[in-house]
Amino acid sequence: MAEQVFKIPDSIKKNAKFSYCPGCDHGVATRLVAEVIDELGIREKTILAASVGCSVTLYDFLEIDSLEAPHGRAMAEATGIKRACPDKFVFTYQGDGDFASIGLAESMHAALRGENISAICINNTTYGMTGGQLGPTTIMGQKTTTSPTGRNREYYGYPIKIAEHIALCDGTAYSARVSLDTVANIRKAKQAIKKAFEVQLKGLGFGFVEILSTCPTNWKMTPDKAHERVRNEMMPVFKLGVYKDITAEG
Amino acid sequence: MVECLKDKKVLTKGNYAIANAAVLAGCQCYFGYPITPQSEIGEFMSGKMQELGRAYVSAESELAAINMVIGAVSTGVKAMTSSSSCAVALMQEGLSYAAADELPVVLVSVMRGGPGLGNIYPSQGDYFQATKGGGDGDYKLIVLAPSTVQECADLTYKAFYLAQKYRNPTVLLADGMLGQMMEPVEYKQNPYPEIDNSNWALTGAKGRKGRIIRSYAPLASDRCEFLEKLYKKYKLIEENETEWEEIGVEDADVVLVSFGGTARNVKIAAKMCREKGIKAGVLRPITLFPFPHKRLFELSKKVKKFITVEVNMGQMVNDVRLAVNGNAPVELIHKPVGIPPAPEEIVKQIEELI
Amino acid sequence: MEKSFLIAGFGGQGVLLAGEVLANAFMYAGKNVTWYPSYGAEMRGGTVNCSVKMSDTEIGSVQDSTSDYIIVLNQASFDRFLPSVSKNGTIIVNTSLASDTKVRDDINYVFFPITQTADEKLNSTKMTNIIALGILARATGLLDLKDLEKALDTVIPPHRKNLLPLNLQALKIGYEYDLLHV
Repeated sequence: MAEQVFKIPDSIKKNAKFSYCPGCDHGVATRLVAEVIDELGIREKTILAASVGCSVTLYDFLEIDSLEAPHGRAMAEATGIKRACPDKFVFTYQGDGDFASIGLAESMHAALRGENISAICINNTTYGMTGGQLGPTTIMGQKTTTSPTGRNREYYGYPIKIAEHIALCDGTAYSARVSLDTVANIRKAKQAIKKAFEVQLKGLGFGFVEILSTCPTNWKMTPDKAHERVRNEMMPVFKLGVYKDITAEG
Repeated sequence: MVECLKDKKVLTKGNYAIANAAVLAGCQCYFGYPITPQSEIGEFMSGKMQELGRAYVSAESELAAINMVIGAVSTGVKAMTSSSSCAVALMQEGLSYAAADELPVVLVSVMRGGPGLGNIYPSQGDYFQATKGGGDGDYKLIVLAPSTVQECADLTYKAFYLAQKYRNPTVLLADGMLGQMMEPVEYKQNPYPEIDNSNWALTGAKGRKGRIIRSYAPLASDRCEFLEKLYKKYKLIEENETEWEEIGVEDADVVLVSFGGTARNVKIAAKMCREKGIKAGVLRPITLFPFPHKRLFELSKKVKKFITVEVNMGQMVNDVRLAVNGNAPVELIHKPVGIPPAPEEIVKQIEELI
Repeated sequence: MEKSFLIAGFGGQGVLLAGEVLANAFMYAGKNVTWYPSYGAEMRGGTVNCSVKMSDTEIGSVQDSTSDYIIVLNQASFDRFLPSVSKNGTIIVNTSLASDTKVRDDINYVFFPITQTADEKLNSTKMTNIIALGILARATGLLDLKDLEKALDTVIPPHRKNLLPLNLQALKIGYEYDLLHV
């Protein structure tokens, strides 16, 4: 008897064709979100506030209700959805530009209000969809199409450490930073997503996961090299870990 | 603070009348950020919504507030925000999205002086902002303009109804005078039927495929089809919902066109004109979109002159000119900001213009 | 018939509330009525004023350049609004706080030490505004005391209802001002 060891999650649309670039971690992140929705059995009560950027395409892949927000406003729309329907599961899936640049006010205030919302932020140190410009998480020295000589303090200032900032908000129940560069880290990432979803289901407050992610196209790297960059250049700046977990023992 | 009393006349500020009527119309969520001269709406809502177990969020900005409304109404519930002029400017992006997403957002816009920070005095300087929009692309908002505090209440019911009926963002366009003044109001039962949202609202994909509410249409052909459909709806709204009040226009030589609080003084001025032997009539658009251009065109065949009276530098006058299409001269009496010009002053200017 | 009123004083004298009571009273008398305040920045210190209009027909403008009856509760209001009294109109002056009073010969005056009376008779200068309403009712003959009493009951919020008897007393003192004056 053959045993099925791999199946497409139920929450993924049938015949959905991923449009992410080859080697981009969005594909893995999307799958993890779908798996967690399946495991928690919440597909039929889930509403996504979609973002703008590469992350917006999530609504093309998941068989859930979705509302497309203007750039940066996903968290405000998620707040509206959740306040109107407290019994629904509401989450956002945003890039670092959407979450931490144009939408920083909405993100911080949702966390400060302790909205029962879960948020996933893909940090790839660049504005991906528009062609790899400098974003709020671009690391010092990193060359982009709008930082041709590398990020420096004089012109650009410093990158934001999102998970740490969100952890400082009193309304945050859970905040973690994870990576998808190894199988072990992918497993940890899934646990973090699950936790960020569960705190909402328990009504404990804002659940947040920052996912370090590759952008092979704009970084002009192979997927392997891109994951090496995540390890060698991003992780020293954006340290992995759980920055807040009000459900933790002790 | 005014209570939600039905069938009883109470002396009420326009802002409270709007808030009260919104609650009675079944508004489930209020999102807002304070700005003079409409802050009473949010203040009232903060207490009342909590008392009724409904949602109230003190939003971090008007940008957030309008998007919270979008989120809430996408689930099929009635929700609103309220703001004023320079802060409504911040909401233009959201209004464009709501129009494109065909979402029944209700915005109460209580106009004050502009441009920029302007001042807090009454104004009608956001006629363009409401009717022409500041967001991107081809879209229309339904715009209702009350003239009395009673109408502030009545048109609030209507705003929620029309927003739902046409799945279109709807603006109640008041001004600082209407918001701050008191007049007796009777809160009638909401006269409008409930609209069934179940075929489009986001409720979680229970037993069905996921729904996406979005305006992104990457293909040119998709966009064409979408805009054609949207404009068919706007045409339907024009056919069904154009509303205005007219007084003494049938035999009028001069028709005074005025909306909102200013029309109050204009009606008195028209009466004074009649006493002086000037055959003046009044046409007061109640819906600014749809605009009563057909009626104005009809009248233009026999009226000698149109005069619009506005508290701004002359905005609606442009729409009157378009409607009249050269059949008669269209003049403007205006005051830049503040309470409307006194009836005597309007009469004096009419005499100069005719 | 259409009549216009303006009440002015400094912040804290209950100018807006007095106007609200007046407007409610006219509403109970079956009149059309409007109330319009000075609002915003003007509320912080300085003078506060509100306009009340009553009419048997539809009311157009909520505030005119002149008013038929003006109550001034302090000197600044007197100085500012004396020119705003309509010809043959009436100004009611709180002489306790407005002693420098120029005279126009085309209007009527009621001079009365309202704040002092409030202090002496009711031990509360806060009743100045309500005494002034009583004076207005008597001086104009336009208001029924019963409507004003009902209006006070409406306007005073539930958590301040213990102050209603004092307010009713103030109203009466104002209404009988000409007897006091003798």
